[in-house]
Amino acid sequence: MFNNWKISPHQFEILVVMCFIGTSILFSPVDLATTVKQDAWLGAIAGNILGLFLVCLYNAVGNYFSNMTLIEYAESVLGKWLGKTLSLLYFSFLFINCSMILWIAGDFITTQITPEAPIQFTNTLFVLIVIMGTRLGLETFARAAEVLYPFVIGLLIILMIFVLPDIESKNIQPVFEYGIKPMIKGGLFYSSLSSLTLIPLMMIFPAHVNNLKEAKKSFLRGTLLGGFVIFLIVTLCILVLGQDMTARNAFPSYALAKKINIGNIIQRIEAIIAIIWFITTFYKMLLHFYGATLGLAQILNLKDYRPLTLPLGMILVVLSLVVFPNVTYAGIWNTTTWLPYVLTYGFFLPLLLLIVSLFRKSKKRI
Amino acid sequence: MWPILGILTVAIGMTLYEVPSLVERNLKRELWVFFILLIFGVILSIAESLNLDIPNPSDFLTVIYKPFTDFILNIFK
Repeated sequence: MFNNWKISPHQFEILVVMCFIGTSILFSPVDLATTVKQDAWLGAIAGNILGLFLVCLYNAVGNYFSNMTLIEYAESVLGKWLGKTLSLLYFSFLFINCSMILWIAGDFITTQITPEAPIQFTNTLFVLIVIMGTRLGLETFARAAEVLYPFVIGLLIILMIFVLPDIESKNIQPVFEYGIKPMIKGGLFYSSLSSLTLIPLMMIFPAHVNNLKEAKKSFLRGTLLGGFVIFLIVTLCILVLGQDMTARNAFPSYALAKKINIGNIIQRIEAIIAIIWFITTFYKMLLHFYGATLGLAQILNLKDYRPLTLPLGMILVVLSLVVFPNVTYAGIWNTTTWLPYVLTYGFFLPLLLLIVSLFRKSKKRI
Repeated sequence: MWPILGILTVAIGMTLYEVPSLVERNLKRELWVFFILLIFGVILSIAESLNLDIPNPSDFLTVIYKPFTDFILNIFK
C-alpha cells in the first residue's frame, strides 16, 4: 500500500531544503570557522559546489531505478545476499545517524532552553512526534512540510534583516589568507553535515516522486537553496561575531540571534533560530527514521512498516543516550570518524550502485 | 524498580496498540519482527535505566574506520 505514495516535485524540493538545513544551520558555522577562520564563507561556497556534484551523482543513480527505493534497487542489482547485506548496513547508518541527530537535539534543548528537564524526556517527546510523522506516512508529512516551509523561510528572512545593523566588515578581512587547502577541507566537513546527509532521501526520490524529470531539477534546486541559506548564515556569523567567537561558541547561529537589539525594543529573539532549527531538524530526523523503518521492512519483505515504528523508537531513545557520552566526545567524533563514515554511505554506496548499473547495462547491450 | 515498571507498562501498551490489528490482518512475519524488536528495546531500556554499560556504536565505528580516518585527515594536514 505504501508503494503507491506519490509526492509532487515541489514537496520533494521542500524536503530537500529541510534535510539540508537540518543540523548544519547550528554546526557548519563552527566547523567552517575552525578550519577556514575568516574565509568560512568561501568554505561554504566550496562545500555547496561539492554538494551540487553529489546531487548530480544521486540523480544519475536515480535514473536507473525510477520505481524502486535504494534498498530494493540494491537487492535487484547486486543479488540477494550482497544486496541485503549492503541494505542492512545502510539501515544501520540511517538509524545510528538518526540517534545522533536526536542526541544533538536533546543536547541543544537541555543546555540552551530547558536546563532542568531530564534528557530522557526531551528525547522521548521528540521521538514520539517523529513516530507520529512516520506512521502518518510520506504524503502527509510532505504536505505538512509545505505548510511549515513559509514559516522557516519567513523567520530566516526576519533574522537576517535584524542582524544587518551589527555587521562589521573588518571581521572578514583579510580575505583568502589561508589558501585553498583548508577551504576544501572546510567545504568537505560542511558537506558532511549537509549534502552528504541527503542520502535518506534516496528512499523517496525516484520511486515516490510523481515526475522524475522535474524531481531531478527539484533535487538540485533544493540543494542550491539550502546551500544559499547556510552560506548566508555562515557569512553573517563571521561578519557579526567574528571568526574567533564563531569557532568557540557551541551554537554560533543561536548566539547570532542573541545579538539582535533594535532600539532596545526588539531583543532576545533567539527563539526564532530555535524554531527554524526545530522544524528543520524534525524533518531531518523524520526522513532518517522513515528511511530506516521502511528500509528494514523492505529488507525483511514485510507488507507494512508501521508495526516497526514503536519498538524502533524505543531503541532509538536508548541509543541516543549512549551514542555520545558527552559533548567533548561528540566534538572529537564529529571531526574524525564522522567524515569517512558518512562518505561510505553518502558517496561510495551510490557510486558503487552507479558503476554496477553502468556495467550491467553495457553487458545487456552486447 | 519504578523505571522498570514504567518501561514494562509502555511495552504492554505498545503490544495492545499494535498486535490486534496485526492478528486481524494475519501478518505473522510482522508480528515476529515486532516482538523481537520490542524485546530488544525493553532489554536495552532496562539496562539504561539501571545505568549498566551499553556498548557504544560510535566507539565501534571509530575502531573500524581508523585507517580510513587517518588517511583522510592526513590528506588535509
